[in-house]
Amino acid sequence: MGFGDAANLPEDDELPSENMPLNMGPSHPAMHGTVRMVMEVQGEKIRTVDVQIGYLHRCFEKEAENATWTQIFPYTDRLNYVSPMLNNVGYALAVEKLLGIDTKIPERAQFIRVIVGEISRITDHLTCLAASAMELAAFTVFFYLMKAREWLWELLEELSGARLTHSYVRIGGVVADLTDDFCPKLRDVLRRCRASIADADKMLTSNRIFRDRMDGIGIITRDDAIGWGLTGPVGRSTGLAYDVRKDHPYLVYDRFDFDVPVGSKGDNFDRYAVRLEEIKQSMRILEQAMDRLPRGPVLIDDARVALPPKREVYNTIESMIAHFKLIMDGIVVPPGEIYSFTEGGNGELGFYIVSDGSGRPYKCRVRPPCFANTAVLNKILPGLFIADVVPTFGMINMIGGECDR
Amino acid sequence: MAGANPAPPAKLKVVIDGQVHEFSPGLTVLEACQQVGAKVPFFCWHPGLSAPAVCRQCLVEIKGISKPIPSCYTPVADKMEVITNSPKVLDVRRQMLEFTLLNHPIDCPICDKAGECMLQKHYFDWDARVARNDGGKVHKAKVVDLGRHIVLDQERCILCSRCIRVCNEVARQPDLVMAFRGDHQLLTTAPGQRLDNPYSLNTVDVCPVGALTAKDFRFSMRAWELLASPSVCPGCATGCNIEIHAACGAIRRLVPRPNPAVNKYWMCDDGRMTYKRVHEARFVAPTIAGATSSWDAAVAEAARLLAAVPPSTLGVVLSAQMTNETLFAFSRLAAEQLHTERVYLAGAGEGWADDILVSADKNPNTTGAKLISGLSLRTATDLKQDLENGALTALLIVGEVDGVSFDLPLVVLASHQGPTASAAKVALPFAMWAEVDGSFTNRQGKVQRLHAALAPAGQSRPGWEIASRLARALGGVWAYENAKQVFSEMRDKVTLMSGADWGKPEMPVQLRFANSRG
Repeated sequence: MGFGDAANLPEDDELPSENMPLNMGPSHPAMHGTVRMVMEVQGEKIRTVDVQIGYLHRCFEKEAENATWTQIFPYTDRLNYVSPMLNNVGYALAVEKLLGIDTKIPERAQFIRVIVGEISRITDHLTCLAASAMELAAFTVFFYLMKAREWLWELLEELSGARLTHSYVRIGGVVADLTDDFCPKLRDVLRRCRASIADADKMLTSNRIFRDRMDGIGIITRDDAIGWGLTGPVGRSTGLAYDVRKDHPYLVYDRFDFDVPVGSKGDNFDRYAVRLEEIKQSMRILEQAMDRLPRGPVLIDDARVALPPKREVYNTIESMIAHFKLIMDGIVVPPGEIYSFTEGGNGELGFYIVSDGSGRPYKCRVRPPCFANTAVLNKILPGLFIADVVPTFGMINMIGGECDR
Repeated sequence: MAGANPAPPAKLKVVIDGQVHEFSPGLTVLEACQQVGAKVPFFCWHPGLSAPAVCRQCLVEIKGISKPIPSCYTPVADKMEVITNSPKVLDVRRQMLEFTLLNHPIDCPICDKAGECMLQKHYFDWDARVARNDGGKVHKAKVVDLGRHIVLDQERCILCSRCIRVCNEVARQPDLVMAFRGDHQLLTTAPGQRLDNPYSLNTVDVCPVGALTAKDFRFSMRAWELLASPSVCPGCATGCNIEIHAACGAIRRLVPRPNPAVNKYWMCDDGRMTYKRVHEARFVAPTIAGATSSWDAAVAEAARLLAAVPPSTLGVVLSAQMTNETLFAFSRLAAEQLHTERVYLAGAGEGWADDILVSADKNPNTTGAKLISGLSLRTATDLKQDLENGALTALLIVGEVDGVSFDLPLVVLASHQGPTASAAKVALPFAMWAEVDGSFTNRQGKVQRLHAALAPAGQSRPGWEIASRLARALGGVWAYENAKQVFSEMRDKVTLMSGADWGKPEMPVQLRFANSRG
């Protein structure tokens, strides 16, 4: 339908009006991560939507071709930048599979990867819930949840040296062992987070204003979720119980007892509720992992993969050479290709990697969960009100850094 | 004796790692392994030198012989079964590397060879174990001034003897020797002697570690930062194939590029230093009567000067230092636009020579100049005579002419500041051999390609391009856009060059991406 084509307006419109183009973004407070939506609205109603991504393109895949396998970790931090550890882990697993060392990663390193990954999943969900609540005017909730996120990030900062861009994982393990009092601190943080989240839960879940904006809005069916490749909380909100941690277990996830929450209607509220429950399940995993954390090394004992300890580097020629070759030439990954996938904050985070046997990737392609999830917006937004864009977009939780790379 | 003629040598059937291959007799096991892609590491073996089998790194198993055998020293034989990757062989390799590393200093961060070091590469590929030695290391002299170009670090030396064989077999001057035994063994010169043969820098190339370093390159640039461009040495008529290693807009070193038909694996020390001239006192902007001008004004003024002279008294002086393309373009300019037959060939003159690589003719392209211009070229002596007897009233000089003073109108193409450029009415800066795509024809008549490793200095331009601009200013219709077009036309017109090939375009390669060439 063209603009101004008043004669063809549907009959149910009480007051006929002309269609109007409306831009949301790319610079708009509710367009997290810079995205543009070109809408055609009729009054308050959305007729068509064209979601335009690409404003946060950083050439991740091209940059990766010019970096050693290890130098790519800082780039992965900047994919989904509210859960960098999950990206670190997903990328490391892909390279390790191609190297054929995925079964030789020390157990303690695998537990630590689970712990930092689940902390990142919690911070990811907290950010999504907090920002969406704020955009619906629940500012107090924003502060309660951001406070919780900050406690978790402070802990990761203590561990990795960086609040957000951790680059903590390495091919073959993690760069350093947990700090001495990490587990007691994490237990304390989890206790405080639970209280914060309970408060937020109380303020939102039975809040009439909040429910009116969420219930029955942006419905996605289970079939659509499969058809559009939706994963993560968005896919699960439709009743599609797909979680890579359960369906294709990696690391030591098969040893933990946790549930995969699913929704029934596939609306915004289901996506909210699934995220809230997933935070609780992640906390369950964290507690089990801390209880069963084994002792031992945190990095593989292989001079062709892991940097030797500095003491050895400065005092023996063997380790000096290994250090030099790993830094200057990079890890030599045998020629081949692999697709490896993990459960990221927003769903299936996949890395498709091709090596030509040099010290750098020939191709490093990311399958970002956000990309598929964002694509469905064009389908679910038409028919909604302009005001529904904000909670619907918020619950899809597109992260530009990951979607655009 | 008709029946006694030996039959053509039969192919030998050799099993390498379970696969049957056929080889000609005379090949060593190591060469056979290399031909079929079986990886065997080595330090002391070099394709251009004899094999002493001292490093024991290339040991392989041969069925029927109980001990591992050095493959570089063993000729292939019919029905031989070679194993290059059995646990025993891998173990022996690791043990040999452990021995070699036992007293090796922890120098990688300050070592010039780091990044292109064979010891680093072999350790990483074949050993990659942590040190078991917690005792001290044997210390030797760190800075031994061996000769004009070379500094030796005796600690880093792994005693492979490659450098000794370069002196003995390539330079034919036995300057280096091993002294003492066991872990006291070291590389040195005889008392009072120095490593001063004309091929001494080849020892640095063949050194698998950073023991021998060139004074000229030492500590100047990390090897993996260098960009390598294939080229040809401009030092003499031999035309040794080289790689230009440049970084940050400057040439850092020249190294030989193997070519069995010209220079094998080597080049002389003088040739390696020719790059210095590229960065010395360059003439970088066009001038008219000594004042800097624009290219357009300078070319117009040069054309006006040249057109005003009667062709019979106008001389064109070419240089055998120029590329074929520049020489061809200026020959064409002289014939078609300037209509003069007074074309002279100048250049660098003669110098010392030997029967190894160095030619007496110190120009890289005398053969090319003669092929392009036929036999009509006049010599530098003719030029002197003609200047003295007043047969010339103006000159177009491409390059530099030594020992002649000029007081007649000159148009000069200059690469360097100097008397010729200063004396010129119009001086035009031209790009040197390392800055242009082009070709030289060596003393054997081989046309060999140069690839630009650097951008031309200042405003200088390739010679053939300047010839085209002059020709257009003089009314010619010339349309060369790149050196390849000049080359193609030259190949069509110069009968003796008809077989020459321009080859593929080559971009400079960063040595880091050449994957540790050690």
